[in-house]
Amino acid sequence: MRNAVDREIPERIGGREVRPYEGAFVTAREGAKACRPQKSAPRHEDKILPSIEAAIEACGLSDGMTISFHHSFRDGDRVVNRVLDACARAGIKGLRIFPTALFSVHEPVIEHVRSGVVSRIEGSMNGPVGAFVSQGGKLAEPAVLRSHGGRWRAVEVGDVEIDVAFIAAPQADPYGNANGIRGATPCGPISFLAVDAQYARRTVVITNDLQPYPVHPMEIQQGWTDWVVEVDEIGDPASIVSGTLQLTRSPTNLRIARLTADAVVASGALVDGFSFQGGAGGISLAATKYLGDAMERAGIVGSFGMGGGTRLLVDLLHRGLIRTILDGQAFDLDAIASLREDPEHVLIDPGFYANYDSRGCATYKLDAAFLGATEVDLDFNVNVNTHSDGQLLHGIGGHQDVAAGSSMTLITVPSIRGRLPMILDRVTTVTTPGEVVDVVVTERGIAVNPRREDLVERFAAAGLPVRTLEEIREEVERLVRPARKPVFGEEVVAAIEWRDGTVIDVVRKVEGWA
Amino acid sequence: MDVRTGSETKGDCVVEILAQGTGVEVETKNAELLAEGIRAVVGEALSELGSDAVAIRVSDFGALDYVIAARVEATVRAADPKGTRPLAPTVERGASERDRPRRCRLYVPGSQPRLLVGIETHEVDCVLVDLEDSVPLSEKPAARILVKHLLSAVPFSNEVWVRINPLEAGGREDVGEVLIGRPHGVCLPKAESAGDVLDLCELLTRAESERGIDGGATWVMPILETAQGVLQAEEIAAADPRVVMLAFGAEDYTRDVGARRTRRSLSFARSRIVLAAAAAGVQASDTVFGDVVDDDGLREEAELARELGFDGKGAIHPRQIPTIHAAFSPTEAEIERARAIVEAARQAEEQGLGVVALDGRMIDRPVLDRAVRWIRYADRLTGGGDRDA
Repeated sequence: MRNAVDREIPERIGGREVRPYEGAFVTAREGAKACRPQKSAPRHEDKILPSIEAAIEACGLSDGMTISFHHSFRDGDRVVNRVLDACARAGIKGLRIFPTALFSVHEPVIEHVRSGVVSRIEGSMNGPVGAFVSQGGKLAEPAVLRSHGGRWRAVEVGDVEIDVAFIAAPQADPYGNANGIRGATPCGPISFLAVDAQYARRTVVITNDLQPYPVHPMEIQQGWTDWVVEVDEIGDPASIVSGTLQLTRSPTNLRIARLTADAVVASGALVDGFSFQGGAGGISLAATKYLGDAMERAGIVGSFGMGGGTRLLVDLLHRGLIRTILDGQAFDLDAIASLREDPEHVLIDPGFYANYDSRGCATYKLDAAFLGATEVDLDFNVNVNTHSDGQLLHGIGGHQDVAAGSSMTLITVPSIRGRLPMILDRVTTVTTPGEVVDVVVTERGIAVNPRREDLVERFAAAGLPVRTLEEIREEVERLVRPARKPVFGEEVVAAIEWRDGTVIDVVRKVEGWA
Repeated sequence: MDVRTGSETKGDCVVEILAQGTGVEVETKNAELLAEGIRAVVGEALSELGSDAVAIRVSDFGALDYVIAARVEATVRAADPKGTRPLAPTVERGASERDRPRRCRLYVPGSQPRLLVGIETHEVDCVLVDLEDSVPLSEKPAARILVKHLLSAVPFSNEVWVRINPLEAGGREDVGEVLIGRPHGVCLPKAESAGDVLDLCELLTRAESERGIDGGATWVMPILETAQGVLQAEEIAAADPRVVMLAFGAEDYTRDVGARRTRRSLSFARSRIVLAAAAAGVQASDTVFGDVVDDDGLREEAELARELGFDGKGAIHPRQIPTIHAAFSPTEAEIERARAIVEAARQAEEQGLGVVALDGRMIDRPVLDRAVRWIRYADRLTGGGDRDA
């Protein structure tokens, strides 16, 4: 069947019936949330277990179950591989893993898939695991990718039932309170898994820094935690800053950042109470800096900036240019320090941030947002999941949630990377529909979605280079011969969910080139 | 024979002629997507060069088509310097106006594709592609070929210039090659006499006629960067109608005279260049500011240059453009005053008065001329002008 962004979607994916994407704000949920088995804690309870192996046994983890993890350590994570190794040694097979995201450090997951320990993956895949899954025939069912808000929703409504949540916690107490911003090796918020902790059949907190009761903030609470395990190492905070999180030095990217900030100014959004979110890429970081300078010149104070927290966002708070930061994940160590020290740097969770089936989302309060892209097409659809060769290489993150929520969404993308054009007739995979994209900023000019004719006038009046996506695409086509494109077969290797649980696109196995 | 050009850097490719066989071998990341297009570009270049028979290997690092064509041409010509005729890709580019705004000239090395990617997207009055100081001697032949292809392939929306080498140090060859790409102008480094300028102009006239370009369409910007050059500023500025701007090069100048680079040590040379340019009716552009991250220092130096009478300043990084443009743009008040002067002149003419006066003060001819220039300048800056030049 065809969904509302004109993508061919199968009726069923794996064991479940597909709800096709109908539009960004069309579905409305009725009925109650899912629930977990209730438990009444005894007056005195010792939740400490000696090892991950003991926790696996105590939780009754067995074949075919679902286990979850967070990605706050990114490439520095030491918990996912360790838990899976322990599962393998215990002879457990057919696990479904439900991480918020996997990174290059999780390449050993591939071995566990080959040996049958893991048979399904639902979560973002950055790097080698994604490339492996893209080859097809590896998993018992296609992978499922969800946005931050979409993942929270999927747990709350029962789309995904978790058996055991393994929560790496930089600081925890013996009764199961835990957080990610204190302790010996802080990784930033771990509130991603607050929903797992509340809905999983069993919740295990794994910490390398066990402190006397009570630790706070209580991102993970005693009332949700079954077991606490102390280990030597859970992750390396030095690795939470990944390569994409450096301030760009490329003249092209700096130009895009500059145009982005100029576009926000020209839109008229920059008044007292302004709110915004920037992505984590180098362009977004530079745009955040330029925007802060523009706020200072305009003499306005913003209401809030939304994280992923970065030193640039923290800088705006310290300069008094924004009153508050709402932050659900840290992209560098300065952001973590600020979460501890600045009362106006507020730790939030993805439910508060962006749960579609809830009574409110922080992303809906955004005036402007700028987000990166791998590809953009003439319908303003954005792909952040697949490379131009069809390989699954990145997660959704908050892309859909922010694009849908913000009053004005700007996509920042170079018109060409190497020899590959990034403005296409049709993106390889639709992650975020053009319906929620207002502006595309490239180094060759700014394209405005026809829905936003009002912005065209404002941008032109400000002397910004307004172009159509067609013009930009044609200009690039004069610089490089067209690249071949992947030819996809029938086999679906991954489903891309829209944040309401419908399927916006699928990734199919690449069978050739044309 | 081991002939290869290009480099293993982003945006470039290495092209080498293989000792045996025929055909095009392509190595690249994403080969499934890209190898076919690269092979087509190489094939076309080889066939235009009349060298279909050679065996060639291309190792690509994300090069655009024009870079690949340039590397192929450079390699084939290096292998057979006499027997190969240069490629002459077609170029659609008209001449630019003599007194258009040239607030900023942005230098970019002509030998490094990595730094040329997207150079046309920066909104700057003049892009100045360099074949001189930033290009190592051994890379000059390949660089002039690369610049020729850049000029023909890339859609520049504003002026594009080439800084050639001094004529006796490769400049003649530079002119012969890059004029195929029809730059708006040629920058002559280390100009020291009217004769230097005239030699270049003669070369340009010949190249223009060979290329079917209107005679005199290519502007000249002498760079004064030696003691001799600064002293000869007047005759250099007036040497030929092709000269539209004098540029100052402080790095070489301070070395030549044995000065330290300070505001004081440069002040005489700056003033002399401004005077010579004004007397000859051409523009003057100040030297580059070397510290790319020091925005305040750049602003201060640009404002000083503006105060002295310069029309523009050099930049070595795109991030310097907005600051420089801002410093050399007429202010609202200046434009308003200029419009009032021109209006007063119009009324005086209508009434048959020989004297123009505004607010009780007489307006001299040079003041009126400058006012007219400011207004045209301002109109162009707000998009009313020759964006397609």
